[in-house]
Amino acid sequence: MIKTAKRYLRLYKVLIAQFFKVILQSKVDFLMGLLGFFFTQFMGIAFLYLVFQQIPSLKGWTLEQLIFIYGFAQIPRGIDHLFTDNIWMVAWRIVINGEFDRYMLRPMNVFFQVISEKLQPDALGELLVGSILVISSLVKGIVVVDFEHGLLFVVSVFAGALIYTSIKLFFASLAFWVKISGPFLQVAYEMADFAKYPTEIYAKAIRFIITWIIPFAFVAYLPASYFLGVGGFLGMNSNAVVIGIECIIAIVFWIVAYAVFHKGTMIYESAGN
Amino acid sequence: MIEVKHISKDFVSPKKYPGLKGAIKGLFSNEKVVKKAVDDISFTIKDGEIVGYIGSNGAGKSTTIKMMTGILAPTDGECLVNSINPSKQRKENAQNIGVVFGQRTQLWWDLPLSESFTILKEIYNVSDEDYKERMEFLNNVLELSEFFDRPVRTLSLGQRMRADLGAALLHNPKVLYLDEPTIGLDLVVKDNIRKAIKEINEKYQTTVILTTHDIGDIEELCSRIIIIDEGKKIYDGSLEALKDTYGTKRKVSMEVKKPEKLKNLDLAGKLGVSLKDCEMEFDKENNLLSVTFDKHKLQVPQVMNAVMDVTEVKDIQIQETELAEIVKEIYNHGLADEAV
Amino acid sequence: MTKKLRIYIPFASNELKRQLAYKGAFYLFIFISLFGAFIQYFLWMAIYGSTDNASLGGLTQNEMIVYVFMVYVTSSMVMITISDWVSEDVVKGMVAMNLIKPIDYRASLISRAMGQAVYRFLVPGVFIWIGLEIYKVKVLGMSVTSITNILLYLVSCIMSFLICVLFDFCFGMVAFFTTYIFGMLMAKEALMSFLTGQLIPLSFFPGIVQKVFDFLPFSSMVYTPVMIYLGKYSGSELYFVLGRQLVWVVILYVLGSIIWKQVTKRLVVLGG
Repeated sequence: MIKTAKRYLRLYKVLIAQFFKVILQSKVDFLMGLLGFFFTQFMGIAFLYLVFQQIPSLKGWTLEQLIFIYGFAQIPRGIDHLFTDNIWMVAWRIVINGEFDRYMLRPMNVFFQVISEKLQPDALGELLVGSILVISSLVKGIVVVDFEHGLLFVVSVFAGALIYTSIKLFFASLAFWVKISGPFLQVAYEMADFAKYPTEIYAKAIRFIITWIIPFAFVAYLPASYFLGVGGFLGMNSNAVVIGIECIIAIVFWIVAYAVFHKGTMIYESAGN
Repeated sequence: MIEVKHISKDFVSPKKYPGLKGAIKGLFSNEKVVKKAVDDISFTIKDGEIVGYIGSNGAGKSTTIKMMTGILAPTDGECLVNSINPSKQRKENAQNIGVVFGQRTQLWWDLPLSESFTILKEIYNVSDEDYKERMEFLNNVLELSEFFDRPVRTLSLGQRMRADLGAALLHNPKVLYLDEPTIGLDLVVKDNIRKAIKEINEKYQTTVILTTHDIGDIEELCSRIIIIDEGKKIYDGSLEALKDTYGTKRKVSMEVKKPEKLKNLDLAGKLGVSLKDCEMEFDKENNLLSVTFDKHKLQVPQVMNAVMDVTEVKDIQIQETELAEIVKEIYNHGLADEAV
Repeated sequence: MTKKLRIYIPFASNELKRQLAYKGAFYLFIFISLFGAFIQYFLWMAIYGSTDNASLGGLTQNEMIVYVFMVYVTSSMVMITISDWVSEDVVKGMVAMNLIKPIDYRASLISRAMGQAVYRFLVPGVFIWIGLEIYKVKVLGMSVTSITNILLYLVSCIMSFLICVLFDFCFGMVAFFTTYIFGMLMAKEALMSFLTGQLIPLSFFPGIVQKVFDFLPFSSMVYTPVMIYLGKYSGSELYFVLGRQLVWVVILYVLGSIIWKQVTKRLVVLGG
């Protein structure tokens, strides 16, 4: 068991080392990608800034608080984006054109092979923006800082990343049935944008969907409001339970997504028919 | 040993309609089409055999190989590779097999070949000593060292094929599957690849299953061939037997001076054989008379003399039936009942 | 002339067919692209709910609702990205191939974009538009948009389409100088969503910034037709914004021709 884990780790290291070599060879491309993502995030902030020129607060939220939520949301998103970006290729390409064959031919876990194929440097743009915004919020003193919040911050970021990965994997796996599942994945993934803002601004149905069906609220807005020490969820006042539920959701979604993926590899049809 | 027992594979796909109207119609339609790619195929392959698996495009060759390698799960039936079921014990099976798809590389496109091998060493858990020994052997046979440090995408097709073959053999698999390993290669490279396959088979008793459209591959490598058509097995036996049974025809083409004199010529009757064993064909444009006959029953001079009795002959060509022709014939007529 | 144009028809109709061919994408495209509009809608509702001012940036809450959805309809129709087709063609070496065919590469791209624009207009554009008008009258108690405004809006949209496509052609030519266009595309899209008024009406920007925008082609892409639709321009101002659009069409057309000439020169030299 440990031996296997070591082997996987060793292999991952080899692959990552390769990845850095490729990045160093194409610095301009890397910077372009970084800049692209950086820009996108920056525009979101600029939008909020312009709006707050006109109003003092949004349903009781200050500009600083909204910026923290916005920034916090980028971190789990960026982590998932960095490590599992190749899942998109499963949805769009790898299944339909038969490239998935090669994963089936190797004596290693298929999911591991999929994600270890590629690291996405563009994600560093999201992580960078996220970190800058979170740190500046810390400096401004609007975030609760104590041991509990610090520990749960780390937990929440990783649980959030796992939720992202699970949602991506689930929708990408549909490709085994429908050949191209990119559009489905796109729909699900773009739902995350809803959770960049306090979800109470939305209609009830939308709030329900992004809280419980495609639970991006648990990746961004809900944990962020816990770290801000404000906002109530199900009548709880900025309670650590939010992070607990986030973890449960992460685990359940992961199990379901992985099961669907596994089932998909069983019915995989390859290409050329 | 590989045992394939009554294996079948169906593919289900949505029905497509042509044209712009069809595209709109397709949006609302839910009709399905079932295609039987492989239909109840069985065979057994012993250790150390080299078997040619042949058939026309879309006959189900690749589908069978994909089921044997664990890429596809069969719809029906079962396949055992050294008592491992590839679709159920994928990882165990993968550790024991090597696969090369001629049309698609298994290597990392942007990485130098050497790095691909480093990664494969980890993937297949090859120990340092084994790795060294294997690389030495592979270098000898496939001459990988000349392009070992170059990125895979910069390799020529022949080099890439050698690299792919090397990569498939790094972990010393018991079974090697080759799907069109010589496709698109020039004659010299083809020859090298075939030699390498032979050498590997002899040294390590590696079982080799190869699909190909190149009859040369079969003649050089395979002691046994399996022919499939429309998903069904139509021949399974030695190459010699196939040639003996179906390769008895010979063809003589003669350019004649006075074609009108041939009108009343009954060659078969004149030579005392049945019409089936001596067929005539005439190409009016080139004044070319072709006679196809059974080489066990007639000799070339007999046929020539019989024709020259009637008219003068300007030019002669004699052709032996090649395996390619035999295979073509089998595809065309389907010899299911006679051969199996 | 008609004969000359006829050879480009297949580019448009093929693109339309390609779009229709894939069922899943067909339905889902509608869905995804609406997300952004709905997020905006709810956000603006909350924003107007947080202030006592009846209008923000010169728009009332009801006008803002119309703005958000008409921006969606307009931009999905006119903002066709052709630069990734260009970079795709560059990667595949298709541009050089196109040089030897008796067609104008840019015209073929624009025709293809037209096919997509028609498709986007049919799904979901027109449905959302009608839905919005019904919502306006039944729920918001506004009056139906006048025929004049609708016609002026459509004229403006055609010019917007040309501005967008001609601009994107110039941008796509950058593909000849970089191997990695994805990052640039993202940066471009982010920047454009801001400068065209997709994200927020340009009237929200400080005065000086708005002056700068007056000299850029972006406001003519989406903001202008939508404001025309809202009836925010009248008299000479209306002629001015339409005239400005026309000027941009001409400028970008000429600019594109110049760049294309340079690029083909380079292409011939490099043999790409």
